[in-house]
This record gives sequence, C-alpha cells and structure tokens, in this order.
Amino acid sequence: MKKTLYSGAALLALVAGAAQAQDLSGQQLTIAGPWIGADQEMVEQVLAVFEEKTGADVRYVGSDSFEQQIVIDAEAGSAPNIAVFPQPGLAADMAKRGFLSPLPEGTEQWVLDNYAAGQSWVDLGSYAGPDGNKALYGFFYKVDLKSLVWYVPENFEDAGYEVPTTMEELKALTEQIVADGETPWCIGLGSGGATGWPATDWVEDMMLRTQPPEVYDGWVSNEVKFDDPRVVAAIDEFGWFARNDAFVSGGAGAVASTDFRDSPKGLFTSPPQCYMHRQASFIPAFFPEGTVVGEDADFFYFPAYAEKDLGQPVLGAGTLWAITSASPVADAFIEFLETPEAHEAWMSQKGFLTPHKGVDKSKFGDPTTAAMNEILLGATTFRFDGSDLMPGGVGAGSFWTGMVDYAGGEPAADVAKSIQESWDALK
Amino acid sequence: MDNIAGKKPALIWVTHLSVLLLVLLWLFPTVGLFVSSFRSADQIASSGWWKALFPQVQNTMIRTAAPATQQMIDGNYVIEGNLFAEDGSKPGTISVWGTSSRAIDAYQAGETADMGEDGRLTVEENGDYRLVNGTEFSGSRGERVFLTAKTPPSFSFDNYRTVLFAGQATDKMGKAFINTFTVTIPATVIPILIAAFAAYALAWMDFRGRAFLIAVIVGLLVVPLQLALIPLLSFHGSVVEWFVALAGTPMEGNARRFAEVGALGRMFGFEPGDTINSKGYLGVWAAHTGFGLPLAIYLLRNYMVGLPKDIIENARVDGATDFQIFTKIILPLSFPALASFAIFQFLWTWNDLLVALVFLIDSSGDTTVMTRQIVELLGTRGGNWEILATAAFVSIAVPLTVFFFMQKYLVRGLLAGSVK
Repeated sequence: MKKTLYSGAALLALVAGAAQAQDLSGQQLTIAGPWIGADQEMVEQVLAVFEEKTGADVRYVGSDSFEQQIVIDAEAGSAPNIAVFPQPGLAADMAKRGFLSPLPEGTEQWVLDNYAAGQSWVDLGSYAGPDGNKALYGFFYKVDLKSLVWYVPENFEDAGYEVPTTMEELKALTEQIVADGETPWCIGLGSGGATGWPATDWVEDMMLRTQPPEVYDGWVSNEVKFDDPRVVAAIDEFGWFARNDAFVSGGAGAVASTDFRDSPKGLFTSPPQCYMHRQASFIPAFFPEGTVVGEDADFFYFPAYAEKDLGQPVLGAGTLWAITSASPVADAFIEFLETPEAHEAWMSQKGFLTPHKGVDKSKFGDPTTAAMNEILLGATTFRFDGSDLMPGGVGAGSFWTGMVDYAGGEPAADVAKSIQESWDALK
Repeated sequence: MDNIAGKKPALIWVTHLSVLLLVLLWLFPTVGLFVSSFRSADQIASSGWWKALFPQVQNTMIRTAAPATQQMIDGNYVIEGNLFAEDGSKPGTISVWGTSSRAIDAYQAGETADMGEDGRLTVEENGDYRLVNGTEFSGSRGERVFLTAKTPPSFSFDNYRTVLFAGQATDKMGKAFINTFTVTIPATVIPILIAAFAAYALAWMDFRGRAFLIAVIVGLLVVPLQLALIPLLSFHGSVVEWFVALAGTPMEGNARRFAEVGALGRMFGFEPGDTINSKGYLGVWAAHTGFGLPLAIYLLRNYMVGLPKDIIENARVDGATDFQIFTKIILPLSFPALASFAIFQFLWTWNDLLVALVFLIDSSGDTTVMTRQIVELLGTRGGNWEILATAAFVSIAVPLTVFFFMQKYLVRGLLAGSVK
C-alpha cells in the first residue's frame, strides 16, 4: 500500500510539475514549526501564497518547544503533514524511527541543480530510513548565517576604527580598543536551559578558521576526538576573546551569566559598553526598538586568518522541511518550496537568507539581508552548525555546559576531555 | 491567666507586625510585576522596576530630525526641534551632552558645539536644539546627540495593547480565552461529580477492601503526572483506533481514518474519509479528571467522614437509601469542601500548559489555550519578554475573580478534615 501511495504521489508530483498550479481546494495541510510571534506572521505570508495558488487550506502551528512537541505528536499518531526542523539531528533521528516520509522523487536533483553548494544541502538532508536505506528527507529553506560581527558604524567613526578584514586585524583592533580605554566585545552565553550555545558557535567558527574543513567534519562526527589538540586550540582561540577581563564588557566573569538576548544592547548604550558583538543573522531582533540595521548598526564578516590560507569559511544553520504525514498536498507543498516565489515571499520581509540561485535578489526586504546573502553565496566553505549535527547529549548538552565551565575559568583541555567522555558514554 | 476573654494578649503587636511583614513579602514580587507590565523592553533592560517610580538620571542617545526637514534661514541650513519630542519620550532636564560616543559630557546645556565643516549645534536644558550649517545637510539620518538628562517616570499601556489588541492578537486571544473555558469548566465539573460519589462511598458505605482502596488513592497522590503523559496519550490513540474499528472499517495504513462507516459511526455523524484525532477536548478533560481525582477524593472523603454520624444513621433508620442520603444530606453539607476543590482544580487547569500541550494542542491551529498564546507572544527566541508581566496580569484576571467570589469556601475547605 505504502509503495503505491508513494508512486502515486510521485506521479502526482510529475503532473504537478507539468501543470504548475494544481487545484487542491478543500484539502487541509497542517504544518508545525519552531517559529512563533513575529516569525509566525512571516511564514504565514509564505503559506498564503501556496493557499492562493492551489486553494489548499494550510494550517501552521508554531511552538517554542517544537523539538519535544513533534516527537510527542508523532508518537501519538497525530503528526502534522509537514514539520519544520530547526536542526538536522532530530530529523535524522525521526527518519530512522520511520516517522518521516522521503521527499518526492526528483527533489534531490533539483537541490543539486538550484542550490549554491547543492551537494552539501543534499548531504545534510539525507538520512537512513527505518530500513537503513539513505534517502532525502529534508528540504532546506531559510538559512541563518552565523559568522557575523555586529557593530555601530558611527561609534567606529567617532573612534576612528576601520572594519577589519582579517583575523589578525580583528585581534589588533581588539587590543587597540583596550589601549584606548574602552571595551571591545559584548559576549553573553545565557539562554535559559540552552545556556552556553553562543560559545559553541564561537568555537565552531574558530575551528573553521584554524583548521581545514575536513578536520571540522571529522570533529563533528567524532573521528577527530573532542580533546584533540586542534580542537583544544580552537577553544582557546575563543578564550583569547572571552576570557580576558579587559576584552569583554562586564569582565570575563559576566560572559556566562549575561543573557545572549541582552548582550547586544551594550553596543547601543551611551557611552557604548562595547564595540563589537559576534552573533548570527537573527540578532537584530534584539537590538533596541527603532534601531535601523544598515545605519544605526551594521555587520562585517567574522574574518579568517590571512596567514592560514583557509579561504572564507562561513558557519551557518538552517531549517529543513520534512514530510511527517504523507499526503498529495504535502508533496505539492514541497514542490512549491522549489519555486523562487516561495523564497521571495519571505525574502521581501525580514531575516531570510536562501541558497536558492534562481531568486530575484532585488526582492530582498532590506539591503543588509542582501549583503548577508552575498556572504553566504560567496563562501569558499560552508559548514553547518556543528553542535546541531553532534548527538543531542553532546551538541545540546555537554558542549553547552562545557563552554560555560570554560568561560568560568576551567582549562580548555579539561573541558574538552569531559565533553569527549560524555560522547563516549553515548556510544 | 493571661488569656482571659476580653483581655488582649500582650504580644498582639508581634502578631500584627509579622502578618504585615508576610503580606508585604508576598506582595513584593506582584507589585514588581505590575510595575514592569507598564514598561517597555528597553526600560526593563536598562533599570529595575523600583527605579521606575522616581525621576532618574539617564544617559541616552537621541537623533535630531532627519536632514529632509532642514530649512533655509538667513543663508544657513537649519534643523530645529526638541530632542525629547523626536524620541517620543517624556520631556526631561538635560545637564550635559555631547556629539561623540567618546565624549558624551563635552558640553553643558545651552552651550554650542562646533561640529566641524562650519556646523554648529546648540542644545538647551529642555531639549530644544538648533543645528546650523552653511552647506546643505545630506544623508537620511539625523545627528546623534548623547544626553545626560533627568527624566520623569514614564509608563505606557503598549504592552497591554500588544497582548490584547495588536494585529491578529485579539482574534487569537479571544479564541484562546474561550478554548481555555472549554477546557477548564468540564475539567472542573467532571472530577467533582465522580469524586463526590466516590468520597461518599469511601466514607460511609461498608465494603471489603475499603481501607485498602483509600490507601491506594492516597498513594496515587504522589505519582507525578509527567510520568503518565505519553503512555496516556498513546492509550488515547488506541481508544480511537478501537472506536474506529467498532464504528466502521478503518482505512488501510491509517487505523484512525474511516474507510467505511457503520451504524454506530453514522450515529456520531462520521463519514467515510473522516479521521479521528487522538488529541482533543475529550482527551484533555479525561486527563485533567484523572490527574485531579486522587486529591479530590481524598479531600472530600476526609470532609465527609467528619460529618455527624447521627444524622446519617437517623436517615437510614427512616428508610433513606444511600443515594438519598448522598443527595439530600451529604452534598448540601459538603458544599464548602466541594467549592474549595473546585477552586483548586479551576486554578490548576486554568494555568496549565503541559497537559494542554500534550493532549489538546494539535497542528490544526484551532486548539490553543491562553497559557500557550502567551508563550507564543514571547517570540521564537523568547525575546519579547516585556509582555510576560503584562500577559500574567491578563491571564490572572479570571482566577482572581473566581478566588474573590469563593474565597470564604477556600479557607473553610482548606481546613476540611483537619479540624473536628
């Protein structure tokens, strides 16, 4: 039965491809995702386009505890048609337990052809199913860029600082700001139960800037052990910034206890508490009210070492859409995500980046996002957030807590050793 | 004999003082929450609520009007206005100011700053400014002015507006409000109905194993409900599958969807192709009932046991059946205990998020409750937490009303069974 369903769906998809907008009026499509509040309103704009084209009745429900909710719903047999996973680890886990259906045939080829660095997106979305066969389960849509440093251009102007283009320059600027009697960085790791995750992004970025991407991949899959000297060195690179009382607003002791949502506010105080803040592309949501990105605040690429010759590595993350309850409407929706329109509908709003090469770049809602997308498309190496790819117990557990310990003063080697031990315990 | 009637105990003021202290201690966080609910996110982030009540000296940055508003006066380009008005904040008193983030106290109020390139900026104590330049201003943003100013307290209803009226919020909050009632009222009434019967039986009817049953119920009080959530949900799933099989023929590959509908299914109004969701109001009522029952039975039994034995025996002698005794004597006498449990159960189901998430809220988007609506207002990364305090006060309104109307029963019921 399942087989006929799939081939039926594939046939339908083929027909859909030919006819473009098919009539699905009256059919319900349920979608669950991690976006709530303002983000929910934005995704609903995208869904409205699909509704308009096909007449289907799309229901989106967001949840702040999506990761738990989707597992409960799948177990209870009341899973939505489509789930939007914020990280591949959970999707891989659910695919293995048979809760996901493979994407319609031809999707893989489409991603290869139309996404920048298509192969890496296919790899990130392909998992072993319950029968052990690998298939494409996840379609990446909406990408976040992590390798960004935020600053206030006018503060740089007042002090006469230049935007650094290499890591050496960034370090020199950091020291320069301290020499001028100011504080260069705002760093905050607090995030409730997820406290520590901003530091994992730092370490991942440092891995990509000190080691070739192969080592990064090995580290994520634990072929390169966590307590490998190369990893420890990357942690210490982060420590160079975060564990120096003079470099961080509030002193090194405040790093672990400052909430990541509050930490960028130091850029905008009078006088400024700090000059730079390294955080992903979503952070402007936490800038003070009325801040215009591009004028009041801007960003530059978190630069790479000039001497290491590792190109321009970029760290990112993204949400992937997977079918949790197969139906022809769900397949039609995945087809819809392949159209430039689906991407442009969110692009014209806020905070949306896409690896889709076929979109109309003039449709970006603001020039800042367009500039971020340039960084994304111009990357020589793109790597997905490593902690999201590691097993949950490490990537969303000991890595976080280990980084808090490290920020609190524990030596990098000890922290790395205990994280490796927790990884071994999971095997 | 210190405590003879008519004479006040010597240490009465100690009692009064400690009561006052306890009340203050309890009120303190609530007052803070209340004050915070009228403050903006930036205000909450920059200072504590206790400072919000008094004028405070603050360093702020305000931009002058944009170059688009410049006027030509006496051969110079001029931008004029009031800084506090530009910012939309309450007027304050400026002591010192500056134009560079490196020197925010370079000028006294009333002084004129040389901006270079022939530009001059004057800022008065009350925030009036005048920016003069020989050449035309360009760019899209005004000049930054760093102020050190004493500003009066400022509160706004913006948060309440966001929670109750902004965008789609009214629709959603309204729907969630009704849904919450749909959950709480049956989830309060059903357990009381069942528990009252059970409590009577356990208190006044003699049967084998009664003591053991009571012990089991007391034991159930300590079982954490979190433990039962998922097993219970999959049990609901199998009930649904069983019902589908009984009322029709399930569809192949989906045991919860009708392929054909039998007589029983038609009676319930199902049609072929209909799917029954294992999440829904029935499920959440059943769950709340189950989780509430041990406490309900325990509380009511203890109260009923304390009722005078003579009345019940008299009624028996007069030929009353157990049911008559229950409805005519026990129920009216147990009203305080019933009411106090009703308050407990109502408050707990009203404030519940966990059980609703597991048993009710599905991806159709029609089933949402207030608690969840509030979580949703926080935003994807939990950043809009200025509305938390506000949402708390919105959500607290109904329980408070219930409490004030029924509080005399609450106290009586709290003592249920403990005092004879």
